[in-house]
Amino acid sequence: MAKEFELNDVEVWDGNYAASQALRQAQIDVVAAYPITPSTPIVEGYGAYVANGYVDGEFVMVESEHGAMSGCVGAAAAGGRVATATSSQGFALMAEVLYQASGMRLPIVMTVVNRALASPLNVRGDHSDMYLGRDSGWIQIDAFNAQEAYDLALCAFRIGEHKDVRLPVMMHQDGFTTSHKAQNVYPLKDSVAYKFVGDFVPVDDMLDFSRPVTHGAQTEEDWHYEHKAKQHKALMDSRTVIDDVFAEFKEITGREYKRVESYMMEDAEVALVLLGSSVETAVLAAKQLREEEGLKVGVVAPRCFRPFPYDLVREALDVPSLKSVCCLDKSAPGGAMGALFNEVSAAAYSTKARPMMTNYIYGLGGRDFAVDEAKRIMREQKAHADAGHITTDIQQFSGLRGPKLGFFKTRRD
Amino acid sequence: MAITSIKNLKEFSTNNDRFEGAHLLCPGCAHSMIVRELMNCTDDNLVIASNTGCLEVSTAVYPYTSWDTSWIHIGFENAATAASCAESMYKARKKKGTLPDADAPVKFVAFGGDGSTYDIGFQWLSGAMERGHDFTYICLDNENYANTGGQRSSATPVGAHTSTAQAGSTSYGKKQKKKDMVAIMAAHGAPYVAQLAPNKWKSMAKGFQKALETEGPCFINTVSACTTEWKFDPKDTINVTDLATDTLMFPIYEIIDGHELNILYRPKNILKVEDYLGAQGRYRHLFKSENKHIIERIQKDIDEKWEFLQRREEARI
Amino acid sequence: MSKGLEGNDNRGARELGAEEKVGWDQVTQGVVLHSFVGESENSAFLKPEEREYNDFNSYTATVASWRIVKPVYNRDICIDCQNCWVWCPDTSIISRDKQMLGIDYDHCKGCGVCVEVCPTNPKSLLMFGEAEETETALANWPEKKKKEK
Repeated sequence: MAKEFELNDVEVWDGNYAASQALRQAQIDVVAAYPITPSTPIVEGYGAYVANGYVDGEFVMVESEHGAMSGCVGAAAAGGRVATATSSQGFALMAEVLYQASGMRLPIVMTVVNRALASPLNVRGDHSDMYLGRDSGWIQIDAFNAQEAYDLALCAFRIGEHKDVRLPVMMHQDGFTTSHKAQNVYPLKDSVAYKFVGDFVPVDDMLDFSRPVTHGAQTEEDWHYEHKAKQHKALMDSRTVIDDVFAEFKEITGREYKRVESYMMEDAEVALVLLGSSVETAVLAAKQLREEEGLKVGVVAPRCFRPFPYDLVREALDVPSLKSVCCLDKSAPGGAMGALFNEVSAAAYSTKARPMMTNYIYGLGGRDFAVDEAKRIMREQKAHADAGHITTDIQQFSGLRGPKLGFFKTRRD
Repeated sequence: MAITSIKNLKEFSTNNDRFEGAHLLCPGCAHSMIVRELMNCTDDNLVIASNTGCLEVSTAVYPYTSWDTSWIHIGFENAATAASCAESMYKARKKKGTLPDADAPVKFVAFGGDGSTYDIGFQWLSGAMERGHDFTYICLDNENYANTGGQRSSATPVGAHTSTAQAGSTSYGKKQKKKDMVAIMAAHGAPYVAQLAPNKWKSMAKGFQKALETEGPCFINTVSACTTEWKFDPKDTINVTDLATDTLMFPIYEIIDGHELNILYRPKNILKVEDYLGAQGRYRHLFKSENKHIIERIQKDIDEKWEFLQRREEARI
Repeated sequence: MSKGLEGNDNRGARELGAEEKVGWDQVTQGVVLHSFVGESENSAFLKPEEREYNDFNSYTATVASWRIVKPVYNRDICIDCQNCWVWCPDTSIISRDKQMLGIDYDHCKGCGVCVEVCPTNPKSLLMFGEAEETETALANWPEKKKKEK
């Protein structure tokens, strides 16, 4: 039996170590992984637990990230708890198998430490890899700090392995700003954490020889569509399971998570919508602007990137006072408006208030996003609100050197 | 392990097939002969992984499976990883006591065609061999991407016509030599590596049983004559395979622990390679006068390889 | 229709593609296919007629329509060597207790390998047109060939 790891009530952990502790406490059967910056310490941390008797499961260091996700799929089909970690290029290399894991309905947990995608090569944090996964059929949950990286990694197992879900889950945190920043983290005792996660319940288990099963069959035009629709429904329906798991987690820890976090939205006139570690920056900026300038600013942060919380985003934005909303995308959009802008705008379109929607691209390749810049964008939204129309380009770039870059004006006639 | 009797074919035929008919492989395909034989070599439970390829697209098209054992397909390149990590899961669950039946004997097997073994899945296979999982990888080597219409792979031999290395007015077909996958796998230090052929059913069964019984990663390259892309009549699959082994185009041998080489079949009458080449449409162009030197080159390569194998065997090192 | 010793009742029950096309709510989760109904013993220890094949098992489908020519089996000449069994690519030679019983025409594609590997003289398996009656085929079986000198 694996040894218990003695933990203090408060530990000073960075996001990587917090995630690795959560993986250890979940008593995973197989971790198949390959190291990549900035998620390497998750794998190294887990390796240290293996080497010192804190893990009973197998630790398979494969030859690539594609191999890591392939190994996770093979192991998961063999009826046990499986997890891995990755970032960026490794995530991109896995892309093929991500779709296979979700289509095969295998509840793998992957802690993703968000990082930019080359080219140009860059090890710093942005959301390019997280966005690359958005059509892959995985549940994607976003942690904004180290505590959340720990908490949500535990929740990820519960959600993905739920019998009505049976889908793989990515638990995202931002590279370096979260993964390498030490913070106070309140962990659960090993026994409490494992009790919350629970024993793994196998489904269509390749090692149950009394029920031989074929995984990964081919489907052509007669069958493929039905399978994809069924899979989509499971992903959409996972919303209620996510809510239930978050509620249960609150009962044992007092820490509350929602599929969409919203801050100071009750009377907000303008709002920022964004993801990841920048959420805390934006909330701080909003608080200061409210105090210093009386600006009624709110912040909305989809905690759950997939399934996209259309329902709760709409609810968060359905505020009569709301006039202008800026969605911030930390991923190069590649010839489009940012993905968050597109999806949030779609939800906002069916609100009564129908706020003006603008888009900022920001923070690419780890470019800093500070409180002052968040405030500037908030004030700009207020200017839109006061003017009654969008006074700038609809898509702009935050923190970019060189001539002002922007696309598309609002049509006022 | 519960190996089955291979004393003679009558004994062997008392096995109950676990690979079912109404799969979609071409009439006369050697793949299923090899798969059936593997599955009949043991009574143990099997967890089988297949790379994308002829075998996979023909045996698990929804809503049908031809497999009576656990089976998984992920992608073109990763059956070795799927099988090896399923084996890791088996170890973990055995240790934790969460297997449905801890005493049930099981073997882990991966199948790939030559395209997925020699080319696209090479890295995944190499990784799984290096990690030392207890599993057997079997390459169904039909020397081309038959599933997609016969393109060249790195297992395609010199002079063969394929759709991407065509014979034409200025080309004699593939120009590069076949990759020596058996040597590469032996160089991984694998405990058991072999090249086997289904026409020699007994040596193939023996090799399969050795691989299944040997702890650690084992690799077997099997010649799988392809009626569609080698272009011969489906009834002649075994006849063509006989020519492959009796011309020594496909020598049958094993390498134990990366060094001990044993030749498993010595033809009484070694045939000239023309007999093998002439039986297949893919080599027809070699018989034109301007290409005769290619046949000579192929024969020379065969003679040299046979000499090499015999010397390696004699050396006992 | 029971096929008795030669096979299970649902062997070759339908053409490939003739299965019911159910809706998205009824397809299997994760595209999995179970080979047998419920729990079963390791099928290595069960003859086909002792197995409870699931409709998902290709055993329950037929590929007979692929065939243009078919092998006909002549019991009188057969020596039960099992060459045809070991090399049949379609699991279509029915052998029980070391005896060749016949051909599974639901799964045989008519490749003719079994005839090629048959060592008897005359052969115990020969290819005939798909429409040929077995009785007629057997009545017209060739005589033993003399060895050519």
